[in-house]
Amino acid sequence: MTPSPHHAPPDRLSPREPLRRRTLLRLGALGGTGLALGPLSACAGPTGAPGPGTLTLGLNRSLVSLDNKLNQFDAAVTVQRAVRQALTRIGPGMRVQLVLADRFAMTEPTVWSVRLRAGVRYSDGSPVTVEDVATAVEMYGKVNGSFLLGLFPELPTVEKTGERTFRLHTRRPVTVLDRLMANIHITPAADNRPEELQSGVGSGPYKVIEANSGAGEYTLARNPRYWGRPAHVYTVRVRFVPEEAGRVIALRSGELDVVDTLTPDSAEQLTGLPGVIVQETSGARINQLFYNFRKPRGHPLADPRVRRALTYAVDGDALIRDVLTDSAEEAQGVVPLALEGAIPTGGYTYDPGRARAQLKALGAEGLRIRVIWESGEFAADSSVMEAVADMFRDIGVRTSLLQFEPGGDILKWRQGRAGDWDVIGNGFPGTTGQALTSLQGMYGGTPERERTRDTYMGYVVPDVQRRLEDAATETDATARARKLADVQHTIWNTWPSLWAFAPKTMLARRDRVHDLGLLKLNSYDLSAVRLEA
Amino acid sequence: MATYLARRIGQSLLAVFLTLTTVFLLLRLAPGDPAAAYAAPSATAADLARIRAEFGLDEPLITQYGIFLRDLCTGNLGTSYSFHASAFQVVMDRLPYTITLAVAAIAVTTVVAVPLGVWMARRADTKRELGTNVLTITGQSMPDFWTGMMLLTVFAVLLPVLPASGFTSWSGLVLPTVTVAVLQLALVSRLVRREMTTALAAPYTTVARSRGVSERALTWRYGLRNSAVPLVTALGTRFAALLNGVVVVEVVFGWPGVGSLVVRALETRDYPLIQATVLVTATLAILVQLLVDLAYPLFDPRVRLGKAA
Repeated sequence: MTPSPHHAPPDRLSPREPLRRRTLLRLGALGGTGLALGPLSACAGPTGAPGPGTLTLGLNRSLVSLDNKLNQFDAAVTVQRAVRQALTRIGPGMRVQLVLADRFAMTEPTVWSVRLRAGVRYSDGSPVTVEDVATAVEMYGKVNGSFLLGLFPELPTVEKTGERTFRLHTRRPVTVLDRLMANIHITPAADNRPEELQSGVGSGPYKVIEANSGAGEYTLARNPRYWGRPAHVYTVRVRFVPEEAGRVIALRSGELDVVDTLTPDSAEQLTGLPGVIVQETSGARINQLFYNFRKPRGHPLADPRVRRALTYAVDGDALIRDVLTDSAEEAQGVVPLALEGAIPTGGYTYDPGRARAQLKALGAEGLRIRVIWESGEFAADSSVMEAVADMFRDIGVRTSLLQFEPGGDILKWRQGRAGDWDVIGNGFPGTTGQALTSLQGMYGGTPERERTRDTYMGYVVPDVQRRLEDAATETDATARARKLADVQHTIWNTWPSLWAFAPKTMLARRDRVHDLGLLKLNSYDLSAVRLEA
Repeated sequence: MATYLARRIGQSLLAVFLTLTTVFLLLRLAPGDPAAAYAAPSATAADLARIRAEFGLDEPLITQYGIFLRDLCTGNLGTSYSFHASAFQVVMDRLPYTITLAVAAIAVTTVVAVPLGVWMARRADTKRELGTNVLTITGQSMPDFWTGMMLLTVFAVLLPVLPASGFTSWSGLVLPTVTVAVLQLALVSRLVRREMTTALAAPYTTVARSRGVSERALTWRYGLRNSAVPLVTALGTRFAALLNGVVVVEVVFGWPGVGSLVVRALETRDYPLIQATVLVTATLAILVQLLVDLAYPLFDPRVRLGKAA
């Protein structure tokens, strides 16, 4: 019922009267207004720009942990290694640098002798011990589905030989063990678990003082007990900004100091802007339009000559220039030339006339090609695929494109369990900085592994596999380099990719950030970074 | 009242249960494999099988459902695959951000849209009302990501007075709040306008006017109070929807709320996290609706809960 206009409400609440509806409503309105105006009244506060001694990084993926047992993506490595360190690391020029170890040498084909650096300590003051190394190796070995484990032909066992010395044993020679161990972060043995650690201390130049792993945000402070040269910047804030446009705007406004893993579009937008510097270097990752090697004998794509003929249809220069806006380099080998041990083996030639003629001569006219890929596999992936489909049309090849959303069924398709396909858009990282690891990962497939569909797109060429194995166990560096070069030529001649390119590693930073030594592995040493006063 | 409450709570629990069951089944029927999303691309078939076993995904669906219900009864929503932490805790860590944004957006919407709706009702069918209507509808028609990007460009880059992303200070709340509120303004102001126009033309208003009641009192005490029930219903519904996360706005502004968490959980097929998010947000949404229903008698004394009109 609407109140009578003659029944005026009391102005004040009598202590004897019960709480009236009108009073409740007023209190509610007051509370609501307060909630709205409270935050807004704080608008006069800071704009979010970092302080003079604080470096703020904007990551494109959420860093759920500062451990790398499962969560291994390029930008994360920078932050993880600022807190937890390994015995070695991959430095400039893809060279191995000693970190927690001051000696790491192969003394026998299957034995490496290692000595921990004197005085290395965690941020809580406790020393880094040989037991910590042994436990770390053991814990990494127990993680299911780990990316890192796939890099190791086998995990070494640790034999303690002194207070600071130990030997790493393998059954067969692992000639790049010093590189591989750069991925095993050392943490106190008592706190280590076969899972990603959510807390705990490290021996790095920074320590965590605030963490919100749910939001992917961390605050790091300079580790006062750091055993090495102290970091230049006192505080580092790590933020997760999922949207690329948001990261670009935050960098432009000065709210972020560094944004990594730039797409070509963003790099173009940021280039030349006042106060912003775009930094780039060659990349260690290769992105390929890789053929399906599970085609039955007699299928046109089972013939390397057909695979080669199709490559003539792809105008790589146009793709690099127009679609990837010069943010990548066309592959000149089967792995990126930035990797140690990689050699140029050939190049892709654009000649649609030759493609048509060769396909006709090989009886492979009127081919239908199905291309599959997962969204976000590489920058501008959809545009690249659409352009390739157009190029195929010019030589009379009909193309169907099948794009999968992240988390979808691409794995089943890749393994040939969900449907047939001809070409897949796929990227392969060069985590160790060494060509051998990438070559083994992609081209070292065996018939045994193929039975469980665990080879790289069905690539099983026994001769290649045997020669890779031979190179991997060759302890003489010169002979190993020669064998590795030979096998790369052999692989190239199997024409595994329709086209391939190595995206450049790019980041953008404010001009107040100095000495950011971007590595080809898309990471950098955080402790070396300086901020302009 | 007690019976009504018991019945509504029973209905709410049933609704949450049915929602969870539907989500549980649909997740497992949808394409994608949590083990593959969790593992490295180089993981072998044996690795994936071990991960599936670790997550309990190798059990028959009915067994998985039984385990899910058993754990639910003990308050255990499982461990998030991607965060390696209690799924419930991960959601609860994000929830304050979502609630803050939702409360701020609804408060701003109410503070702006109600007076605006009243003003439009008092000037119904005039050019000024038409112009205002066009403006609010334009605001509602603009995609939220576009509105957000424009606000960011102006207030974070051109006039760097507000933060571009995240919630590092209270000022970080302004742009996401305004973006969400702009979308609600047209809806709420037009609703208020419509209800107020009806109320101001009602016989009791004519009688009151003939008794000499001031226009101000007619508007705020007669018109608005009689429009309150549909207004509160609309605001409650919008608030409940916002609690489920404003995905696009959260992504654009790097807002660490539940919406962006759900996107990540879906991409990684993080079943426990999706289920925990659904449980928490569905419970909150239903709770809000219940509170709205319970609030009706405050606004309209003719309403008696649990009794037929």
